[in-house]
Amino acid sequence: MNALHRLRGFLALAVVVALLPVLFPDNYFVTVVGVTIGFNVMLAVALNLFIGFAGQISLGHAAFFGMGAYASAILTTRYGWSPWPAMGVGLVIVYVVALLISRPILKLKGHYLAMATLGFGIIVNIIMVEAVDWTGGPDGMSGIPGLELFGWAVDSDLRWYAVMAVVMLATVLLSLNIIDSRAGRALRAVHGSEVAAQTLGVDTARVKSQVFVLSACLASLAGSLFAHQQNFISPVSFNFFFSIEVVTMVVLGGLASTYGAVFGAIVLTLLPQVLVVFEDYEVLILGAILMSIMIFLPQGLFVGLVRGSTGLLRRLRPAAVATGD
Amino acid sequence: MALLEVRELGKAFGGVAAIADLSFAVPEGSIYAVIGPNGAGKTTLFNMLSGVYVPSDGAIEFDGTSLAGLEPHQVATRGISRTFQNLQIFFNMSVLENVMVGCHQRARSGLYRAALRLPGVVREEQQIRAWAIEALEFCGLAHLAERPADALPYGELKRVEIARALAADPRLLLMDEPAAGLNDTETAELRELVRRIGARGVTVLLVEHNMGLVMQVSDTVLVLDYGSKLAEGTTTEIQNDPRVIAAYLGGEVQYAVQ
Amino acid sequence: MLDQILQFLITGVTVGSTYALVGLGFAIIYNASGVVNFAQGEFVMIGAMSAVWLLAVGMPFPLALLGAVAITTCVGLALNKFAIEPARGATVITTIIITIGAAIFLRGAALLLWGKDIFALPHFSGEETLYFGSATLLPQNLWVMGVTAVLVIAVRWFFDRTLMGKAILACACNKDAARLMGINVGLMLLVSYGMSAFLGAVAGILVAPIAFTSYDAGIMLGLKGFSAAILGGMGSSMGAVAGGLLLGILESLGAGLISSGYKDAMAFTVVLLVLILRPSGLFGRKAADRV
Repeated sequence: MNALHRLRGFLALAVVVALLPVLFPDNYFVTVVGVTIGFNVMLAVALNLFIGFAGQISLGHAAFFGMGAYASAILTTRYGWSPWPAMGVGLVIVYVVALLISRPILKLKGHYLAMATLGFGIIVNIIMVEAVDWTGGPDGMSGIPGLELFGWAVDSDLRWYAVMAVVMLATVLLSLNIIDSRAGRALRAVHGSEVAAQTLGVDTARVKSQVFVLSACLASLAGSLFAHQQNFISPVSFNFFFSIEVVTMVVLGGLASTYGAVFGAIVLTLLPQVLVVFEDYEVLILGAILMSIMIFLPQGLFVGLVRGSTGLLRRLRPAAVATGD
Repeated sequence: MALLEVRELGKAFGGVAAIADLSFAVPEGSIYAVIGPNGAGKTTLFNMLSGVYVPSDGAIEFDGTSLAGLEPHQVATRGISRTFQNLQIFFNMSVLENVMVGCHQRARSGLYRAALRLPGVVREEQQIRAWAIEALEFCGLAHLAERPADALPYGELKRVEIARALAADPRLLLMDEPAAGLNDTETAELRELVRRIGARGVTVLLVEHNMGLVMQVSDTVLVLDYGSKLAEGTTTEIQNDPRVIAAYLGGEVQYAVQ
Repeated sequence: MLDQILQFLITGVTVGSTYALVGLGFAIIYNASGVVNFAQGEFVMIGAMSAVWLLAVGMPFPLALLGAVAITTCVGLALNKFAIEPARGATVITTIIITIGAAIFLRGAALLLWGKDIFALPHFSGEETLYFGSATLLPQNLWVMGVTAVLVIAVRWFFDRTLMGKAILACACNKDAARLMGINVGLMLLVSYGMSAFLGAVAGILVAPIAFTSYDAGIMLGLKGFSAAILGGMGSSMGAVAGGLLLGILESLGAGLISSGYKDAMAFTVVLLVLILRPSGLFGRKAADRV
């Protein structure tokens, strides 16, 4: 299977992402919402590696997103660091923390793992609120400098779109590469049958820990970029609700599907924009949509749509067998 | 030379001794069967051999080195593979991918190299794929490679599990009731497959209830009863052993040997 | 110092009683259906908010309380009927998202009906300060502790001594076997959701005079209640009660003696430690996997 065939979905995505600002240059939805979509896709794809492919649960990933953001914010505003080394430090901190908690926590399964990650996320968020001297407390931190790439200042919506487009696509590519490899199969084997995986030589504890740490680091990266893009951060962006939102993106799109996670991120970022029209009914409708999709389409929207349309195609033209992405 | 040697092995769960004072040796290149009534401790034995359970007493030696204290994935890297009584197929993958996981320990590339898809990774992928296809062909399943595992019937999945275990290139293959749930045709195919596995040089340790299969493929048979050795010998010896007949075989002595 | 601790204990037991009831609700639903109902906290909120609303439209106080409990119980039954039952057999993560979706839905409904304001219920029997040693407490504290104790005993009696209670426990052990014994599993599940909602609602109206309530009061309560259930051991309803009381006391002592801002963090740290060191909880039984 040559690279072009394997990456055909990715190339399509890249083309769409590249063309959007060209076709709609001053459109708010493309440049501003597009950047938000970029962050959410990064987070969803990263989390999907852990939840979807490895079959685990994390309800506290916003913590890593926030740790990256705060590391960048604190180092650049309080200590005058340049953004890039600050981002690196954030990455290292998150790497270490994720590694330390991964071993004890990942022995847990199901609801226990859910609660442990939830607890972790809440504790980190509370620290963000309470450690006022470091984090500015509930009022957050402002004046975070923008990003500069070898003299090219990222100082417009369009430029941020470009940066996030590249980073997002890189994350998607990373995920696709991992899934289709020995490491990726080991991941998925853990989900399929942990016992069998072990008897085939897979160190399942280590695999779970590795993918947890990787997805945490990707979230940290997204967080650092977020801090520089928003120029202001506050604990409310990194709370338990946002963790749930990211999990919802992954589950909505369809677990164990990179494109599903992309799709879920896009839908869940656009949905509030659409629901704003309904004002007071917004929260209600969001809850109703969530429940309905999970009840009637538990394999996720994206996977459901794909299966539905390939089913349709197959009836029109009985062709070759479908494979996963 | 014994590839696998078990000495005074014991396993107790609370007050119940599932296995007690069990000793036997499996010669390299042979097909060794373990039979016994339900509850005799066969799966407990397998779980100890593959590192899933920790023995309460005794020693397990594989190729001269002890397996004590090893985690299941470490046992696997020593050259022991197994299939399961209750199918443990990865239903979230295709048949080929299932078998490719079998090659896990024959390769090296980790998460980050895979993420960057370095050239070494690509070459290794092609190698793993080749090994997996070879294992599938050996088991007569190559035509099913791209099918999702959850689309296959039970009988074929049992063979996929065998292919997956073989893809690890093991020296010892533990098979836990491979004939369970198979009809006569499938059992005959299994018999041929086990013979071919033995002919390939892989030592097979087989737990099985299907006496016909056991008597037709095994070099040595160990009879377990209540967690201890009741008898051990060739198929003829076992079939004629009065203790075994009394405890277990009964009318099934009728099964022809060759 | 001792006086202070006594005061913290009183607050702790009061708050802990709420957690105990919420945790008990979690445990009952989990025992019956294996589902962790993340909407449990919303039952508390709806109980309190409905009571406030019924009172505001002119109902007499006792009737308002009863009505609120009835409304919430119906919500619990509806949750089971329309969200949980259709998704039988779904994976753990799917049911988690479904109940979270339900929680969001209920919160959205509350937001729509009652807005973002904070409300309080009148104290049940006045606000005259009582003295216990050198510590002060309000009559409402006694209401909370007393009613909780009564309910816990009632629930215990229900599961130990009534046929329906045992039937629900049977469903928890093995649904198919229960069905074969003639137990209407669907009905038993419905009853357990109703019970949990009932307990949540009572917790809500008991504590609303002291802690107030608003449309988003359910979230933290739900999480703490879940923590209580885990602390006690997910399979044990009495464990959840003990867990809730313990959590409330630890939280109150921590808030008083160490720092009040971090009190929630302390509660969750305790839970994390329990999960890491003894996942089966204080009273739960260790589960073994069969290979």
